[in-house]
Amino acid sequence: MKLISLLDRLAATPGAPTTATPRRELLQQFGRVAVAALPLAFGSLPAAAGTKETSYDALTQLLLLERLQKALYTQALAASGLIPATQIAGFQRMLLHQTQHEAFLVLVLQNAGAAIQPVPTFDFSGRHGVSANPVLFPNVLSDYDAFLALAQQLEDLGVRLYKTHTFSVSDSQALKSLLRQHAVEAEHSAHVRGLRRGRGVVVKNWPSDADAPIARPAAAQALTTAATGGDENVFQYLTAGVKVPFSNFLLIRDNTAIHDTALAEAFDEPVSLAVAQAALSLFI
Amino acid sequence: MSESIFSPAWRAQPLGRRGFLRVSAASAATAALIGATGCSTQTPTPVATDPYALSLSTGDAGLVQYAYLLAMAQATLYQKVVDAPPSDLAAAERAIFADLRDHEVVHREVFKYQLDPTASTVIVPADLAFSLKSFTLTTRAGVLAAAQQLEDLATAAYPVLLTLLTTTSGTLLRDLLLKTSSVHARHAATVRDLLSPGSFANDDVVENTGALAGQIRTKTPTEVNTALAPFFAPYVISIANLAVPV
Repeated sequence: MKLISLLDRLAATPGAPTTATPRRELLQQFGRVAVAALPLAFGSLPAAAGTKETSYDALTQLLLLERLQKALYTQALAASGLIPATQIAGFQRMLLHQTQHEAFLVLVLQNAGAAIQPVPTFDFSGRHGVSANPVLFPNVLSDYDAFLALAQQLEDLGVRLYKTHTFSVSDSQALKSLLRQHAVEAEHSAHVRGLRRGRGVVVKNWPSDADAPIARPAAAQALTTAATGGDENVFQYLTAGVKVPFSNFLLIRDNTAIHDTALAEAFDEPVSLAVAQAALSLFI
Repeated sequence: MSESIFSPAWRAQPLGRRGFLRVSAASAATAALIGATGCSTQTPTPVATDPYALSLSTGDAGLVQYAYLLAMAQATLYQKVVDAPPSDLAAAERAIFADLRDHEVVHREVFKYQLDPTASTVIVPADLAFSLKSFTLTTRAGVLAAAQQLEDLATAAYPVLLTLLTTTSGTLLRDLLLKTSSVHARHAATVRDLLSPGSFANDDVVENTGALAGQIRTKTPTEVNTALAPFFAPYVISIANLAVPV
């Protein structure tokens, strides 16, 4: 799978710690540690480890996201004049939270005996560090609106990614902590969305099909897809294969008419690991 | 005590029937004891229980009931604000409250559907209500403060609630609750920023020291139930059947 090869490539990146081992070996080690029931241990690996997401994949991807957000806020706060004075404190708080989340994820991985990937060099222009490549995210560190749009999409992605990955961790304390970080990401997203609305953008504090789309070149579309793609979904399931009949009980039974936009807004959707990785890879 | 203050449908609901809130076993036993010692000549009555003592179910159903009560509380508040908005609440802010109302109605109703898919059971006493009388709903600041109180509470409740769910019947219920949990956090940050710009995810709701710094502060079902108790009076809701968080 593409994702697995990506993780392999990250593990083999020059400059990685000398302890970097092939992924399969890491996973085996990981599984053994989990069985040892360390304080923050994870559940045993699924039988089909080659095709199913593992807690190692999950936490490694969350770590990458937190580091990406941390780097964005670090660079934005260092860019003189980018963030209005009244809004600096908010981004300092978000930077602090992302730094704390990163530290927690590193601790969990370390406690499980798993390797910590090195911090990549992030390029927020989308040029992958090659100046000849096209700029996919122009002016994100010089134009406040461009910065806010990127920050919003990464925070939305964060909310989704925690949703996707949290329950791959079976230890109840670690699980609860990931759920708590998930909530903080959602508060961040709502804040950034509110800042954008304050600057005249048509956007709600939650993903909505009423939001004005964020214009991106085709090559950067992976970010939009990962951040909010599919969030207009109005189908939910409580029984496999059977859609919750919202129209039956919202419109008929209780005479509470809810339009589809609000119905979709009432549920934040997850994102697949592969779709998220395509977005994260835009900045590496 | 007048019997007219609780609904006949509610009284008719037999103990142990699949339903939302049942008369708790403890209060039923107490009432039976009182009946035995104080009214020995009277024929035992089928309603000799405290009509205001309610108990959440065991297992995942009880957790959905818990989520239902939170959604009901919020929907009640927002419906009131939508129906009678304070004069100083701006049009854009009224639109936000309309969205909050819609989201919470969806949550409340989907939880009700989960508990009672065929709408065949009386799942809640007709007069069980979330009281708004302690809030100041005539001013913008008052409605935002009320909203913040309830959204902070729900945001704090969900990380614990989600860890208590079992997956014995699959993960769909858990996933659905997870999808609603971040919506509460979004709501909380939204009303916080409206009431006091930049107060989203502040230290009063996010841990700021120790190994758990950067994580939302949580509340156990016991803490949440205590916080909600004054609003549901005269009903007294027991969560003794819920699993205890680790």
